[in-house]
This record gives sequence, structure tokens and C-alpha cells, in this order.
Amino acid sequence: MIATMTMQDLGMPAVAPTTTPTMKAEGITRSFGSGDTKIFALRDVSLELYPGQITLLMGPSGSGKSTLLAVLSGLLHPDTGSVTIQNQDLWAMTERQREAFRLQHFGFVFQGYNLFPALTARDQLEMILRWGNGASARDAREKTDEMLDILGLSKRAHLRPLQLSGGEKQRVAIGRALIKQPGFVFADEPTAALDWKHGQHVIELLRAAAHDQASTILVVAHDSRIIPFVDRVLLLEDGVLFEGPEKPGELFNANPVQTGY
Amino acid sequence: MSYALSTLWYERQRYMPAVLAVAFSCLLIALQCGLLLGLFSITSIPIDESRADIWVGHPAVPSVDLGMPIPEAWQSYLALPEVERTEPYMEGFAYWKKPTGGMELVLVIGTRLGPDSIGAIKQLTPELRTLLSEPSSIVIDEGEFARLGIDKVGDTAEIINKRVRVVGTVKGLRSLAGPYLFCSLDTARKILNPPPGQCTFILAKCHKKSDAPKVVAHLREFPKKLSPFTTEEFSTHSQLHWLFKTKAGIALGLAAALGLLVGAVVTSTTLHAATVASLKEYAVLRALGIPRWRMAMMVISQAFLVGLSGIIVSLPVIFGIAYLGNVVAKVMLPPELLGGAFAITMTMAMCSGLFALRSLRHVEPVTLLR
Ligand SMILES: Nc1ncnc2c1ncn2[C@@H]1O[C@H](COP(=O)(O)OP(=O)(O)OP(=O)(O)O)[C@@H](O)[C@H]1O
Ligand SMILES: [Mg+2]
Repeated sequence: MIATMTMQDLGMPAVAPTTTPTMKAEGITRSFGSGDTKIFALRDVSLELYPGQITLLMGPSGSGKSTLLAVLSGLLHPDTGSVTIQNQDLWAMTERQREAFRLQHFGFVFQGYNLFPALTARDQLEMILRWGNGASARDAREKTDEMLDILGLSKRAHLRPLQLSGGEKQRVAIGRALIKQPGFVFADEPTAALDWKHGQHVIELLRAAAHDQASTILVVAHDSRIIPFVDRVLLLEDGVLFEGPEKPGELFNANPVQTGY
Repeated sequence: MSYALSTLWYERQRYMPAVLAVAFSCLLIALQCGLLLGLFSITSIPIDESRADIWVGHPAVPSVDLGMPIPEAWQSYLALPEVERTEPYMEGFAYWKKPTGGMELVLVIGTRLGPDSIGAIKQLTPELRTLLSEPSSIVIDEGEFARLGIDKVGDTAEIINKRVRVVGTVKGLRSLAGPYLFCSLDTARKILNPPPGQCTFILAKCHKKSDAPKVVAHLREFPKKLSPFTTEEFSTHSQLHWLFKTKAGIALGLAAALGLLVGAVVTSTTLHAATVASLKEYAVLRALGIPRWRMAMMVISQAFLVGLSGIIVSLPVIFGIAYLGNVVAKVMLPPELLGGAFAITMTMAMCSGLFALRSLRHVEPVTLLR
């Protein structure tokens, strides 16, 4: 099961926790538009992310959170700067190489659920393994069953998005990001559309993935109730990045509440 | 493929127009061709109903009803060990003067009448043949009386100032162009007045029918330019001549092309819209690094399934309409024709799929991050 999976399974070297960063971004800038209407969304952002950690990126609306996530995850080209993972510069690769790199290492959760309306929860997950890794039908099925179990969706596997609640849909979307057992997971406002109970469950799933699989997880969110659940907080303001409080869990003096799932 | 199938089934309302458009195209092609095939099979009736194995005509002969005079002496070319016997065949158009006024173009077909005749159609009974051996007597299809402006067996009319008399009728030999008049060689010569010693075709019967292609191949090698055919070849040749060299063939092509165009537009629009509706889902897959060709395959699979469903839907309708239509006109649906119609329809559906692929260009993962 997922708890026994290590970074070796992912073809990555084992790393001492929190000492060696898995991702290193240096001097990232990104602007939109030109001339008078030019907006600097990111101004000389540098950061390091560590394995086994879930990092929360917060900041006011329009501060550049989504833009930073897109640059770090290989979806949006920065104006300057580099993103280094395993000694490889993400933005020095060709489009094709970057695509292959994302396939191998990255998982994504977006704000909308973005599930195929015609496919069952099981199909949505299986599809990633069949199409992404070329997994056999049997392999994909086994892995999908495990993932559905983790998500608490085993009994709802045959249902289509229309028959699932918002929280269930977002869990399927999270399963889609985690099923490849990626080294990195990027989540942009994964809880925005959910009530706190479901939002909390979603964060716990991501947190479990970070801690059990030593994945590097970056979550963008507005809700400060998430802070106690993460290992580290980063603040972005007007395109400038600040390190958040050192021990977010203790600072807010709150323990993750067990939910009823 | 199974994801495409699930999608097609779950969103069948969305795909229904495309399936129906494909079915319509398939139906149109199959029935049009079937109808024309039925129509043009009429043009080869005199060939199909004879007992000849080989037809030899003028080098430029395009069709059975458009024969040109050749010397009867060419029969000597057919003096081959495989050939049992030969005989001349007279045929040509003439104007029939209706007793009720007006003219009608008729096709005069003159053959030997003996029991071992090669050219005489099988429907000519010994009684009819005896009657036809009287000079200037003819046999027509029982459905042609009105067209010829006469009422009954025994009536007479004039063809180019020569009086002829209807001595009997046959069934199922109505023609596409002018009505067929079946008669003896002598009567046909009298009406058509060919140069002395000339006929229109030379027919041959082989000892073994299976030798016919060999003999025909041999005749084609001749320094003397002949136009030899086996009966089957000549029958197809005549039908194809009418199909391609007449406006009917062009009309068929246009109607089929129109049906295909409608099918292609509806199918590709539907597939395009379906893909655009799932752009965000595809974008997630792209973000996850799943190669674009997987999504292209999804669209192509959908196109294939739409094509297949359309064809399946069209099948009962094709046979239903063909069955009903047979009352009015002969519709022929041989497996080759149906297979061809399906292949063309499927090609159309797949091309629509390829065309709809351009919708995938709009898949942009970064748009999911806002
Ligand atoms: N494609 C674009 N074209 C022009 N400007 C853009 C584009 N994308 C982002 N921006 C601008 O860049 C700035 C940062 O945008 P970004 O989406 O990263 O903010 P955000 O922190 O994610 O905000 P929110 O919390 O509202 O999602 C904003 O001022 C935005 O208007
Ligand atoms: Mg955002």
C-alpha cells in the first residue's frame, strides 16, 4: 500500500528529509503585457522545496500565486530564472522533454474538478495510468483500487461526476494527481469550492501523500484554517516571496481534527 | 477505445446528430447505387438472358445496345478447338411508328431461333420461336403495349415503312431506353438493313463454359482488332457504360457526394463540439504529461464509433426502403455494393474525426491555473 512506497519506487535517489531540496527555483520573474499595461506577477522569486513536506503558498488575490505555481510546475515559461530538479533545469528542456518530465514526476490538482462527465470515478483514475504510463489493464485496475480505497471512494467507484458530491469529485481529482505516485504535487486552490469539512479531508490526503511517500507538495490556498495541517508556509505579496512562520502547526496551536471519513 | 465508447453512450444525445448524419449518408449511397444498379441491370438483359459464352463485337463497341456492324465472316476467327459453335446476332435501334400517332425508339434484336440457338433469350418458348420464324413477326414484353401504341397480340405497326406484327409476349424484359423487339435474324435484317454480310455481334458457345476466358484472351492477342468479351464481362461492361457515360452516373456521384458532405460536416462539427466541451479535462491530462496523441486517438475512436453506429443504424432502413421500393423500381444490393457504401461512409467519418482534431490545439494546461 501507499505507506510502503518510497522515493526509490519513483526512480529518485533517497534524500535525507528536509536537508537536500528536491526543487530549487532561482531568480524567477514573470510579467504580463507590455508598455504601460505591463504587470509584474513575479519579481525575482527564489525558493527551495523539500521532500516529505507539504508547503502552503498564501497571499492576496492577484499576488502571483498561480503564476508561481505554473512556472514551478513547467506550465508557464518564466521571463528569467531557473527551476532545477534533480540537477535538470526545467526551463532549459524542450517542450517534449518537459512534457515527459511532468509525466514522470508531477501531479496536479486544480480548483475545478475537471472530470470527464461520461467516465466513472474509476475510469478517471485508470485513464491516467493506461494513457500516461501505458500500464496494462490489470495493473491499472489494481493501483486504481488501492487509490480509491485511500480516497474512501471504493463504494462510489462506479459513479459518474454528476452523481458525486463536490467533495467526492475533488477527491477523485486528487486521486488523479496522486495515482502516478509523483515526486511533486501542485495544487491550486484545491479546497476553494468545498466546505471546511471536505476541504480538510482534501488537505489531509495531500499531507498523507507528502509524509508517506516523501513527495514534495505545494498547495496554493486562501483559507488560513489549512495552516495547522502544513509543514511550511510561504507568503507572496505583489510578486515578492516571503518565508512564513517557522512551525505553522505549533504557531496556531491547533491539531488536525480527525474527520469522520 | 472503451473510454470513447463510454463517452459515446453516456452522451448519446450529443452524438446522435452525427450518428444520424452518417446513417443518412450511408443510406443515400447504398440506395442510390442499388437503384442505379437495378436500373442498369436492365441494360444487359439481352446478354444475361442469352446462352452465349462469348460476345465478339466491333472494336469500338461501348454497350450491348450500341453495337456496330461487323462482317459475319469473322466467325472464322472463332474456329478454335474450345469453341463448339458460333452464330451471328443482329441488333440496332429503329423508329417504331405508333398506330395511335407518334414515334418510339425501339431496339430490334434478331437471333437464330432453333432449339440450339445461342442468342435467343431463354424466355422465347418453342411456340414463340415457331411464330417468330414467320417473316416480320416480333415478340415484345407484355408491359410495353402502351409505349408502342398498340393493344394486344396480333396488332401491327410500321418500322421504317416495313409492317411488323406482334405474335406474342414475354415477361420481365422491359428496357431502360427503347422497348426490346425480339425477332428472327431475317426480320431484323429486313428492318435494320445492314450492309450485306454484316451483323452486329458474333456469339460463341464453348464446349466448356470455363474455357471462355481463355478463348477471349486468345482472341485479344489477334492481329485483327476484335472486341471479345465473356458474357459476364460484357454484361458488366454494358452496365458500367451506362453508369459512367450517362447523366445518371453523374447524378449518382453528385447525390452521393452531397450526402457525404452533409455527413462529414455534421460529424466533424459534433466531434469538434464534444472535444471543446472537454477542453479542461484534456488540459488536466496534458498538465499531467499525457501525450497529445492519446487525446487525438480518443477523438479518432469517437469518429470510428460514430461511423460504425451510423452504419448499423442505416442497415435496417436500407433494407426496409429497398424492400418497399422494389414495388416501384428494382433495387439491387449485392454485398460488394453494401461493403463499398460502408467503406466510403466509414472513410468519411474518420476524415471528419481527423478534421475535428484541430480542436485539440486549444488545450492549454496553464489556463487551469488562475
Ligand atoms: N495570462 C495573463 N495575462 C495577463 N495578466 C495575467 C495573466 N495571468 C495572470 N496575470 C496577472 O498576473 C497577476 C498575478 O496573477 P495570478 O493568477 O498569479 O494571481 P493569484 O495570486 O493566483 O490570484 P488569485 O488568488 O486571485 O488566484 C495578476 O495581476 C493577474 O492579473
Ligand atoms: Mg490563482
